[in-house]
Amino acid sequence: MDATPAKRRRARLSITPYLFISPWLLGFLLFTLGPLVFSLTMSFYDWPVVGERSFVGLDNYRSMLTDDPAFWESLGITTRFALIYVPFNIVLSFLLALLLHHARFGAGFFRTAFYLPSVISGVALVMIWNWIYSEQYGLLNYMLSFAGIGPVNWLGEKNLAVLAIIIASLWGLGSTMLILLTGLKGIPRELYEAATVSGVPGWAQMIFITLPMLGPILVFTFITSIIAAFQQLTIALLLTKGGPQKATYFFAMYIYDNAFKFYDMGYAAAGSWIMFLIVLVLSMLVMRWSAAWSYYEGELKSEDGGRNA
Amino acid sequence: MRKVLLHSALTFLAVLFILPFYWTFLSAVKSTAELYQFPPVFWPSEWHFENFAASWNKLPFNTFLWNSTVVVMLSTIGQLISSSLVAFGFARFRFPGRDALFILLLATMMIPWDVKMIPLYMEFNFLGWINTLKPLIVPAYFADAFFVFMLRQFIMTIPLEIDEAARMDGASNFDIYWRIHLPLMLPGLILVGTFHFMNAWNDYLGPLIFLNDQSQYTLTLGLALLKNPHDLDITAIAAITTLLCLPPLVLFFLAQRYIMDGAVGSAVKG
Amino acid sequence: MKTVSTWIAGSLVASVLSLAPAVQAEEVLRFATWDSDESLAIEQAIAKKFEETHPGVKVQVEAYGGDGYDQKLAAGFGAGNPPDVMYMWNFPQYYTSLMPLDDLIAKDAAALDIKDIPEGLLNASRIDGKTYGMPAGFTTHVIFYNKDMFAKAGVEEPKDGWTWDDLRAKAAKFRNEAAKTYGFAVDAKPDPYDFEQFLWSNGTRYISDDGKQLDGYMNSKEAAEVLDMFGDMAKKQEAATINVGEVTSASTLFKGGQIAMMEGAMWNKSGIDKSGVKYGVAMLPAFKGKPVQSAISISAMSIAKDAKSPDLAWEFVKFYTSPEAIAMRKNDLPVRTSVAESQGMTKDPVFKPFFDILAVSTKERPAFLKNPKWAQIQENLAVAIEAAITEQGNAQAHLDEAVQRSKRFLK
Repeated sequence: MDATPAKRRRARLSITPYLFISPWLLGFLLFTLGPLVFSLTMSFYDWPVVGERSFVGLDNYRSMLTDDPAFWESLGITTRFALIYVPFNIVLSFLLALLLHHARFGAGFFRTAFYLPSVISGVALVMIWNWIYSEQYGLLNYMLSFAGIGPVNWLGEKNLAVLAIIIASLWGLGSTMLILLTGLKGIPRELYEAATVSGVPGWAQMIFITLPMLGPILVFTFITSIIAAFQQLTIALLLTKGGPQKATYFFAMYIYDNAFKFYDMGYAAAGSWIMFLIVLVLSMLVMRWSAAWSYYEGELKSEDGGRNA
Repeated sequence: MRKVLLHSALTFLAVLFILPFYWTFLSAVKSTAELYQFPPVFWPSEWHFENFAASWNKLPFNTFLWNSTVVVMLSTIGQLISSSLVAFGFARFRFPGRDALFILLLATMMIPWDVKMIPLYMEFNFLGWINTLKPLIVPAYFADAFFVFMLRQFIMTIPLEIDEAARMDGASNFDIYWRIHLPLMLPGLILVGTFHFMNAWNDYLGPLIFLNDQSQYTLTLGLALLKNPHDLDITAIAAITTLLCLPPLVLFFLAQRYIMDGAVGSAVKG
Repeated sequence: MKTVSTWIAGSLVASVLSLAPAVQAEEVLRFATWDSDESLAIEQAIAKKFEETHPGVKVQVEAYGGDGYDQKLAAGFGAGNPPDVMYMWNFPQYYTSLMPLDDLIAKDAAALDIKDIPEGLLNASRIDGKTYGMPAGFTTHVIFYNKDMFAKAGVEEPKDGWTWDDLRAKAAKFRNEAAKTYGFAVDAKPDPYDFEQFLWSNGTRYISDDGKQLDGYMNSKEAAEVLDMFGDMAKKQEAATINVGEVTSASTLFKGGQIAMMEGAMWNKSGIDKSGVKYGVAMLPAFKGKPVQSAISISAMSIAKDAKSPDLAWEFVKFYTSPEAIAMRKNDLPVRTSVAESQGMTKDPVFKPFFDILAVSTKERPAFLKNPKWAQIQENLAVAIEAAITEQGNAQAHLDEAVQRSKRFLK
């Protein structure tokens, strides 16, 4: 009597979907799970790079949250950065993608041009931004001088330095823009044609066709921008080294320093887990919230999907 | 009129985006005297193109180039295959544990590299992969979360009716993936290819941690060897950077037209 | 076309398959260095020399320039796969995984002639009385000055026994706002390790010798005096202020003829040589009535505790510190007095100040050897230095805050 539902359940459970996701599953088990468990363990230890390790329970977390001003300061800086960077990154990328979408001449050239900054990395980025922001020799101040604006010490003043980092980060929006552009290109043109024939104005087409059709892609850029904002390290590390006077000391840099300057691996791991939780919660909120407005196609039921397994 | 406005806006922005790259190129060919001149020199009086060869020959950059090429080519292939398979699995099936697994997948994007580094090193060391290119290639065959997530979102914008129609014609799941979604995904795959190419090409930390011997070094490690902390050789760094940018740029320029007016659109029509 | 791509794909795969950690008949010794560029070329040349005299041995020089070195070493040690031989400065962090060298030094005393190496250079690699590193090169700090600028301005060149008051008086004469030339450069973000030399010279130090006390040291009157002096030099434009904002170095300004004097070390010399500036070298100035001291930066060679072949590693370290190898190092100073003397360096006016100041700079131990949490404390100190230089004064308040914030590391 009990056998029937169990049997049916087994019949419904198909192996096909697992086969499709097996590369990631395997990779997760091979290259991610181990390090993850390891780092969680580390976070409960006083764990120098070499030498004796000792279990300290929640001490790392406790002292980080209650005793370490640098933790809250860097978290504050990162949060403020994210609040500005994330919306700007998405809106500007979207506007740029729209511009490109309608470009008729030289589309390939423009696409390449806007992606260009994302191709440059590391040492060269420092050189370039140093040159742009330089107080005496900088391009920015050179251009501002025509407008009669005196030399500004972009990287030397606390608030300006944060702004400088935001601008430098946004300069690399080429990837986000490309993702959105690809999404735009994927929207069937018939939808717009039909709407135009029915006399739907452009702004309404944007709200009722473009944005909903782009929904899943926007969710993706939203979540990945949040992650990028919290993991922001390279530009600040290379350009300002967290200065002036810690004004651009991001949370990721705080973790980095604990690991590779202070060699306190347990403490760094604890910081990483706190960052991890924050970003995870934010991403889940975005997912939850997006489910309400975004246009999702359903997925195959596995009863049907399993047919050919 | 609108088109003129649009294109002049685009041109203005493009100049802003290109200028810094142009300056990097200039720094490579300028004379030392003009390097620090103010107001900035936008058209040098002498062009020292020999700086490129001189900088390239300072270190065995040919070897570094070969290593980078091996890593980038092989890992890109792996990333394309694996991430598209996994994305299809997450986008088009409902199966027990799917949502939990997907959240897990998202979560893996959020782990900072700092803490993964030592355990990963231990693992690769155990496998005997340290000082080989394998740690930089093999993981790409196991689908990166970022690309899975991205491709999944692209697949979700494709109407389900297409799959159902194919199924009516007797197509298997793999057929649907291979014959319908892979072509439809082409723009997305171009993005995966481009982004992964760039990540692998510009990766510094991975090669730094996993490679030991100069004969295994990639281009980014070679570039770092030019960096003297007390006395920066701007000309050499700018020259190598310029050269490093060229292959991805050319490839991107060639690939980007496939992002053009949706393969998706025509498929839906048909 | 197809065959070409097949060939490329084939050779790609083949090369990966064959790229197991190069299986060689010879013995491989891993040697990691933080040097890049010219200094790296010198190291490679020394390694080649060693290979010539040791057939069947391959020295794998692993160069991780700049910030990469610390990370690479952390990963290697953390995962139990460090290089056999490596450059080392952070002894407090790593000594438990390094091989104590005292027995080996004693065993080879005759060949090694350890007395030829100044005691001050060996001290920096000692923890709890054990030696964990052999110095291979070092540098002290000096003042470089531009002879042409001095002649043109009619300013008398620095003399032995000069003081900061002398330096400031000279520097003031180079101030030219229009041409943006100055007498000196004040760095808002100096390496705190080097910066302690000014505190030593003014009779204080960052932290007490037992490593337990910051109050009254880092924020002492003497420490504040040093910072206020540099702040005042910036304010009165006796010096250009660098590293408030964009990253520059004094040597860039010096090479461009924009400052007449700079504080520097051996690592600046080859760049200045190449720039063509005609320069002289002077000892660091003293604070009036107090003995001057310099920070000593040492490249020391250490052997990992679980090096695969400790004997070979020690052979290599010995060769590296032999007169022959040391004579090849042109980018830092010879650790052997005999080499310095035979090359006439101790008489050469350019090199003499480096050695003169070494002789009087062995009294203090750098702060990082005294407290295991020094790296954390140093972060707060660096902010205080930067703030005091940027605000051109108010050093006491900033140093007090740094001490306050560092209290939790003294427990």
